[in-house]
Amino acid sequence: MNFKIDDELRKRLAGIRELGRTQIRPLGLEADRAGKPVDPDHPFYALLLKLGLGRTRWLGGELDAEQDATRSRVGSPPSGGERGHKAGPSLTGVLLSEELAYWDRGVAVSFPGPGLGEPPVLSMGTPEQKERFLARFREPDRPRWGSFAMTEPGAGSDVAAIRTSCKRDGDHWILDGDKSFAANASRADWIVVWATADTSLGRAGHRAFVVERDTPGLGDFKIEKKMGLKAYESTSFTLRHCRVPASHLLGGEATYSNQDGSRGAKRAGFKGALQSFNATRPMIGAMAVGIGRAALDEAAAFAREHDLGSDPRVRDRLERTRRKLRVARLLCWRAAWLADQQQPNIVEASMAKAHAPAAALDATLLGMELLGEVGARGDHLIEKLFRDVKAMDIVEGTGQIQHIVIARQLVGLPRE
Amino acid sequence: MIDFALDPELELLRETARSFAQHRLRPHDRDFETARGVDVATRDAFTEIGLAALEWPEALGGAGLGALARALVLEELGAADAGAALTLDPLGPAFYALAECGEAAALQAIAQPLLERPGSRAVLAWNGVARVALRNGRATGVLPWLPADRVDLLVLLDGDAVAVIDEGIALAPLRGAGLRAAGASELRLDGAPVRAWWVNPRGARRALARARLYAASLLLGVMRAAAGFSRDYALQRVAFGKPIAHHQALAFLITDMAMAVDGSRLLVHEAAVRLDRGGDAEEACATAFLEAAEQAMFVTPNAVQILGGHGFMQDYPVEKWMREARALGLCFGGVDGAREDAGRGIVAAHAPLGLLEAQP
Repeated sequence: MNFKIDDELRKRLAGIRELGRTQIRPLGLEADRAGKPVDPDHPFYALLLKLGLGRTRWLGGELDAEQDATRSRVGSPPSGGERGHKAGPSLTGVLLSEELAYWDRGVAVSFPGPGLGEPPVLSMGTPEQKERFLARFREPDRPRWGSFAMTEPGAGSDVAAIRTSCKRDGDHWILDGDKSFAANASRADWIVVWATADTSLGRAGHRAFVVERDTPGLGDFKIEKKMGLKAYESTSFTLRHCRVPASHLLGGEATYSNQDGSRGAKRAGFKGALQSFNATRPMIGAMAVGIGRAALDEAAAFAREHDLGSDPRVRDRLERTRRKLRVARLLCWRAAWLADQQQPNIVEASMAKAHAPAAALDATLLGMELLGEVGARGDHLIEKLFRDVKAMDIVEGTGQIQHIVIARQLVGLPRE
Repeated sequence: MIDFALDPELELLRETARSFAQHRLRPHDRDFETARGVDVATRDAFTEIGLAALEWPEALGGAGLGALARALVLEELGAADAGAALTLDPLGPAFYALAECGEAAALQAIAQPLLERPGSRAVLAWNGVARVALRNGRATGVLPWLPADRVDLLVLLDGDAVAVIDEGIALAPLRGAGLRAAGASELRLDGAPVRAWWVNPRGARRALARARLYAASLLLGVMRAAAGFSRDYALQRVAFGKPIAHHQALAFLITDMAMAVDGSRLLVHEAAVRLDRGGDAEEACATAFLEAAEQAMFVTPNAVQILGGHGFMQDYPVEKWMREARALGLCFGGVDGAREDAGRGIVAAHAPLGLLEAQP
């Protein structure tokens, strides 16, 4: 057992700290004041590309088969599993996510790259599809984005209830429906869109399509106004008789057909989505820890500047806040470590996701309390963090959904 | 790098402790409670498998294992009978004060004889509120409760110093709120001679940290047992046409209890690893104790709650676990003492939880 971060990763974290201090946090504050996302043409994104970010983790070509073979069952990125010297990809992702979110979670989500669209393409896509959609992210000529759209106006946590339809029409599929709150959708090269071929089948009817930006019928992009996290766009859009080439159905028809009669094959479409969630839950938890940590640091700084250090009431609450965040961080680390070991992490990932946002919200609430009326002015970083953090308990499965997921495992809570 | 796997030898040790705890302690917990102690055969078995001298230096014939090993064993013992765990460990956390401040010579002269006399008890007490006055080599005062019916050696943590007393100790038996298998006494000293007095700020702080981790590990075991037992009960008990565990109010409560146990365990293990690396661990140990004590106060009363009327009856173990958790959380200065040490530097720290700063 070991809780030490290796030197290579420490170097990367130190790099993010510097970038965070000089670029990410100022940009986040600027976007918050302006009330709109950072412009896609902002030089910061070009700088990220220069720094080697904004890329796919897909290795491409001949390395693809190897990558497939080493991929974790729970959808974690490749080449994990080795114990001891180096952090696996999930753990690395969790650590970097925490540090990025510490500086600004909104800006972090706006980073170029295939984003949440990447896991389903990696886990379900054919080699041709990976080439078509991910190759451009290997050495991108300019900042490029991918996006992921599951949520609809009437289907959030209950993903089985999505209504966006897909109907086969010769060499194409026709998509119709409304999608909500997709990160970076209006600036994306393509969006992984989840649709249903038959609403009566629930999850078994789901299909994932990669819809390219200029596809006719894709439109009505509306960048939503949010309470916080204003630096990235959460975008709603519509699909109106949107004709998508059949070759853009992720994994091809066979992935979804019931040819071997197994339940697993039947539910592959939905499982593709779940896999990406499973890998990202600890990362969302870690982002919450990052936001909470920022609030803790600001609150401690405020206490220092106002000579509250000797007040046990202040000290005890700061201690409790740090303790809950530390628990949250360890829960995230454990879930990610399990993913890297290719061990099931359903319960652990949900625990991380259930605990961290609540702990982080508490940190911001305490910060506001210490600030008092200064917090109510609306111009202090803690006030922004207080607005930013709430989303962490909502995205990628609310805290309540995580409880249901855990309870299914612990006591077999029935689905009905 | 970050790694949650246990080394195979620690895994084996944990299995050994679990097997002993579940077969030798758990079935007899009410007998131990009534008898205020364990029987000779149980004690012999404990000594035989090496659990009595777990952290005792190898040079002196012990296993020489570290804080993580101790934490793993104590969780298992606590999950069966925390009172028995205390009475079975002849030195208990008193060992830490002797080892940190008195070192090898003291261990040999003062502690070794206890290991050789079955049933002996060394007891560590926290003198943070100066219940015992230490003057001119004499100790006078009253400790209102110790989980022991026999004290061969009293080790007092007195600020920056450690006092060792092995004569003039008067005990008056108490009923005790919990941990009755270890006994319960009021301890009086009336000018008792202080056998050894070491001023060693760092050693005293480290001894207190290790003692807190000891209590936290037992608390972890107690709440694990309570969470697991009440969950199993909730799956059997039917109300309104289904197992009560399948009513969402209870399903979510059971989930929160499981998270409380897991979170507490992670802090205990992190603190133990810090200790074993020889690093600064006082804040981590105080934090782990605080979390374990608080979460045990959430988990164990709710375990009673889940069993309803049965939970209140002594036919089931959950009421006992609730009492034991409460009692353990009062040891070594309790949660308020731990808050002092856990929170001491937090306002002054510029990044109290920074990823690059907080390295064990």
